[in-house]
Amino acid sequence: MSATLRAEFLKLLTTRTAAGLAGLAVAVTALIATLESATAGTGRGMAIPSLATSAGLRDALASTGFALIIAAVLGTVITAGEFRHKTATGTYLDQPDRNRVLAAKAIAATAAGILVGLAASATATGIGLGFAAARGYPLALPAATIARYGAGAVLGAGLLAAAGAGAGSLIRHQIGAVIAVFAWGFAVELVVGGTATAVAPYLPYTAAALMAGVTSGGGMPPIPRGVTALPFPAAGAVLAGVAVLLAAAAAAAAVRRDIT
Amino acid sequence: MRVAAPGALPQARLDGGSGAAVIEVGQLTKRFGAVTAADRLSFRVGAGTVTGFLGPNGAGKTTTLRMLLGLVRPDCGQATIWGKRYAELGDRRRAVGAVLEACGLHPGRTVRDQLWVRCAAAGIARSRADAVLEVTGLAGLAGRRAGSLSLGERQRLGLAAALLGDPEVLILDEPGNGLDPAGVAWLRGFLRQLAGEGRTVLVSSHLLAEVAQTAGQVIVIDHGRLISAGPVSQLTTGQAVVVRTPRAAELRSALAAGGAAVRELADGRLEITGAGTEQVATLAAARGLPIFEISEQAGSLEDAFLTLTGAERRPG
Repeated sequence: MSATLRAEFLKLLTTRTAAGLAGLAVAVTALIATLESATAGTGRGMAIPSLATSAGLRDALASTGFALIIAAVLGTVITAGEFRHKTATGTYLDQPDRNRVLAAKAIAATAAGILVGLAASATATGIGLGFAAARGYPLALPAATIARYGAGAVLGAGLLAAAGAGAGSLIRHQIGAVIAVFAWGFAVELVVGGTATAVAPYLPYTAAALMAGVTSGGGMPPIPRGVTALPFPAAGAVLAGVAVLLAAAAAAAAVRRDIT
Repeated sequence: MRVAAPGALPQARLDGGSGAAVIEVGQLTKRFGAVTAADRLSFRVGAGTVTGFLGPNGAGKTTTLRMLLGLVRPDCGQATIWGKRYAELGDRRRAVGAVLEACGLHPGRTVRDQLWVRCAAAGIARSRADAVLEVTGLAGLAGRRAGSLSLGERQRLGLAAALLGDPEVLILDEPGNGLDPAGVAWLRGFLRQLAGEGRTVLVSSHLLAEVAQTAGQVIVIDHGRLISAGPVSQLTTGQAVVVRTPRAAELRSALAAGGAAVRELADGRLEITGAGTEQVATLAAARGLPIFEISEQAGSLEDAFLTLTGAERRPG
């Protein structure tokens, strides 16, 4: 397992894909956080309340919605990319145990997702607090809440990346898998969450977004009104459950399917 | 050389030098919907041989090799290396190296990184990467991204990856694809070198002339079935007997009556297929027909291949 895992990490470090996606996540997060912070309390732009209020500061700090979906995309690329570039043949020649390969990929995806979440969260927090400090506002949120949003972004991104790895292995077609992830985040959860608010917190992207304090979207559609966040551990369990479910389905399929 | 009669399913054994079978394929069958890629295919490949694995496009060569390497699940039958399925081999990268036709490379990864990833996955020291790059003539391209390589360079990189574990068995699927004439010549020497080192090489190819020059044995399949197996020398000889006799018409009718096919060449000699030299000579002696010249006409591997598979009769 350790050799397979080492190879998966090396794959991530030897192409520009992971770094590019992480850079994209950070850049979009920085853009959203800057726009929200700059216009907060002015009534312009996204009509964010003042950074002197808890709602305004939360919206600025929790600009990580797009980064969460990019983490899921990164997970799909880690698995589906092997079939796009036909490198799956070499991977399964080196390690014929397909469950081990999938487990290594899920771990690598989780680690990469955590780094994406960490970078995005640090970026949003730095920009939001920077703007608030520059305007001379007192800290409108307890430090524990700010830390929870950060932890939510990190954990949420890690688990969404793991879920993405499972989805990518099932779909195999990289472009199709990436489109599926975006369609899920931009459309499916929006429609389902908007029509069944009781179900919404159990949907993976919404669960991760609420853990990270995202309500106004952060580059994604806003969380539908009336949706209540699950307790942090419960939301984490929901996300972990989705990731495990997708991994199990991917493992069951991988054992049966041919590598052609 | 044994040639399977239509409908028969022979088991071919290519013992090579030592007699020990390294690769054994038994009753291997795989269907993709209506297409049968392997149909109760059986053959054995002996240690220390270079064996050409031939067949027209769509004959089932790649699928067979992928089943041998555990990448494709057979519907029934088995394919083993040293008596074990690929996945069950201990230290498999040191046992078996493979280049498959569609074996891909990430275009954004450098040549050296491609090999380092494979080293990491197989638990092989990174220093082997530089060694195999040297062997395959790619040392100067180590820092280049794979996306900028020519097809021939990619093929060499595939061979380099296969050699990382210094394996005793090499399974190569169309390694000559995309190579320029210099590359083909290099591959020929490379395969000879591998054979000289006592490695067992199973190489599928449609470059029949190359196989003839490098392989000692050949396995010919078509529609997933074994057509023929044996030494190249047997496959390419004895395809026709040429006779010069002053009583050609009489010999011709006698041979035709015996079921042989006879064609008169431009110089008056007879070209006979379906009967061996001894049969023709015996028949002529029995009829008192003088023979001034009799010889076996060796065909090329390509001729033999086309005859065996009937590929020349197929469109496209």
